[in-house]
Amino acid sequence: MDSNGTAFPVQLYIYDLSRGMARQLSPIMLGKQLDGIWHTSIVVYGDEFFFGGVGISSCPPGGTMLGPPDTVVELGNTEVTEEIFMDYLSSLGETTYRGERYRLFEHNCNTFTNEVAQFLTGMKIPSYITDLPSEVLSTPFGQVLRPILDSIHIAPPGGNVINSQNNHS
Amino acid sequence: MAENSGADPAVEGKSEENAATGGTIIMVTVKTPKDKEEIAISEDASVSQFKEEISKRFKAKQDQLVLIFAGKILKDGDTLGQHGIKDGLTVHLVIKTAQNSGLSPNSSNAGTANPGSAANLGTSQGSGPSPAPSQPANLFTGFGDLSSLANLGMGSSNFMELQQQMQRQLMSNPEMLSQIMENPLVQNMMSNPDLMRQMIMANPQMQQLMERNPEISHMLNNPELMRQTMELARNPAMMQEMMRNQDRALSNLESIPGGYNALRRMYTDIQEPMFSAAREQFGNNPFSALGGNADSSGAQPSRTENREPLPNPWGPPDASSTGTGTTTTSTTTSTTPSVSNPLGIGSSSLGNGVFNSPGMQSLMQQISENPQLMQNMLSAPYMRITVTPENPPPPSSGLGSTPAAGTNPTQQQLMQQMLQMFAGGNASTQTPEVRFQQQLEQLSAMGFINREANLQALIATGGDINAAIERLLGSQPS
Repeated sequence: MDSNGTAFPVQLYIYDLSRGMARQLSPIMLGKQLDGIWHTSIVVYGDEFFFGGVGISSCPPGGTMLGPPDTVVELGNTEVTEEIFMDYLSSLGETTYRGERYRLFEHNCNTFTNEVAQFLTGMKIPSYITDLPSEVLSTPFGQVLRPILDSIHIAPPGGNVINSQNNHS
Repeated sequence: MAENSGADPAVEGKSEENAATGGTIIMVTVKTPKDKEEIAISEDASVSQFKEEISKRFKAKQDQLVLIFAGKILKDGDTLGQHGIKDGLTVHLVIKTAQNSGLSPNSSNAGTANPGSAANLGTSQGSGPSPAPSQPANLFTGFGDLSSLANLGMGSSNFMELQQQMQRQLMSNPEMLSQIMENPLVQNMMSNPDLMRQMIMANPQMQQLMERNPEISHMLNNPELMRQTMELARNPAMMQEMMRNQDRALSNLESIPGGYNALRRMYTDIQEPMFSAAREQFGNNPFSALGGNADSSGAQPSRTENREPLPNPWGPPDASSTGTGTTTTSTTTSTTPSVSNPLGIGSSSLGNGVFNSPGMQSLMQQISENPQLMQNMLSAPYMRITVTPENPPPPSSGLGSTPAAGTNPTQQQLMQQMLQMFAGGNASTQTPEVRFQQQLEQLSAMGFINREANLQALIATGGDINAAIERLLGSQPS
């Protein structure tokens, strides 16, 4: 009724960074079962958007070095046009989602995806993805490895960084 | 009926549902990318009334406000109730700044053109195959870097032209070159072998070269080799090391009878045309741009089978690859899980944080060079070993339950491979013995019969035979 007919489908691409090894090794190493190390991105307007150590990036869907996603979740449709969305992404990229703000545990790609998904569709991403950092940190091994892991910035190559202005200092 | 919304005559339709009818006040959170505010509004209010409140709070004009809730854009004529906006819910707001997606044009000079242009090249390439419904014009404005390119006068979206111009800039300024190499984006790009191969093959001079010398095209098409090259090229420090090793190896080669002639032949046939082709573009010897291999490495011929593609528009072309050892025996960092690469994570996909943190990097290099160090690390008190071949449930003694450094050999391999993979570049994914099988045989053929010592030396030098020999001989110059 109030829709002017344009609806853009929004999808969530889920990648397992460990390629299945987390599923096998997590019981040994962490003491609990983790089915994967999840990296997610939002696919809309025919492009894939994700947040990594270099900031917000975009690429053709499935175009990062990770290849095709392990799982695709339909988040629904959005009326938001691409122009508005790019505005929104630029603002995000200047503030909370600059590259240097990347934190593997607290502020990672899934944080970004969650926020964007809510913006576009009102839906959140599945909780098993956003719960992953706390799951890992609640294990002794996770705590031990935390300093090392904190310095890791996941940035799957193949994307182009969206930046409204180059990094000022 | 009262126009409760004040002086705003722009309310169209639904004017009967204004706040004068006394609907309950709800608190709605309005969230922008930058911050969020709570706005009190009547639950019967229309969207335009809501926008008026918002414009006061956010100091923006109502026309610039775009409200989004549950994926729908709230139009002025709608009501909050229509969209199901209730107390405590969050509505998203985007403030349109300008038609150009509100991006400040980048006044790029050479300094800021570094990461900017890097993103540009990637962007223009990425936007090419993109199936996005928007036209290229939209993309140009959507990505600030490209619009800055337009400002620079390089408005061409032709990838080749951009590449040429970038090369010219790059090669005239070696400083910029090393800066670019440090850029994580560039490193990301370079870790994509297909991308690199495309870029290289797109160069017309390379194409000529390839016609003349089919070996070169063969080499370019070898994904293993390309990957090795990429890893080398990404890490200039390591590459210098490699080249030094290479040079040492080559000087050995000269002493073999007839070897010198072979070297000369190699140089004139293969390397010189490559150099000339590279030089035409770069304006100087590509090696000097590295800023580290000042002396002999510039003109030094390399082995035939380790030919690297020279004109690498993004960085120091490496005309010397890894030694035969690592090329033939290591499986490099592929991303498919295999027996020897259980984590299946390419070091490139792990991202650049590990590489870029200097402390981390040096730590990892030290570790990979000195397995003893790693063993010590693993056996530190907080990483106590508890693992038996069956999975232990709770960790004993405190914090650690990591695969044993000393008990279970397969898990020890696992840990070692994991850490090696973190160390990146010279990482391989098999046990040292398997990896260095060939080198070990060569060493024993040369007369070094102490296998243990050989293995240690090989591990310490990362598979470089000549360096290992030096170690074994007590750093006697070769």
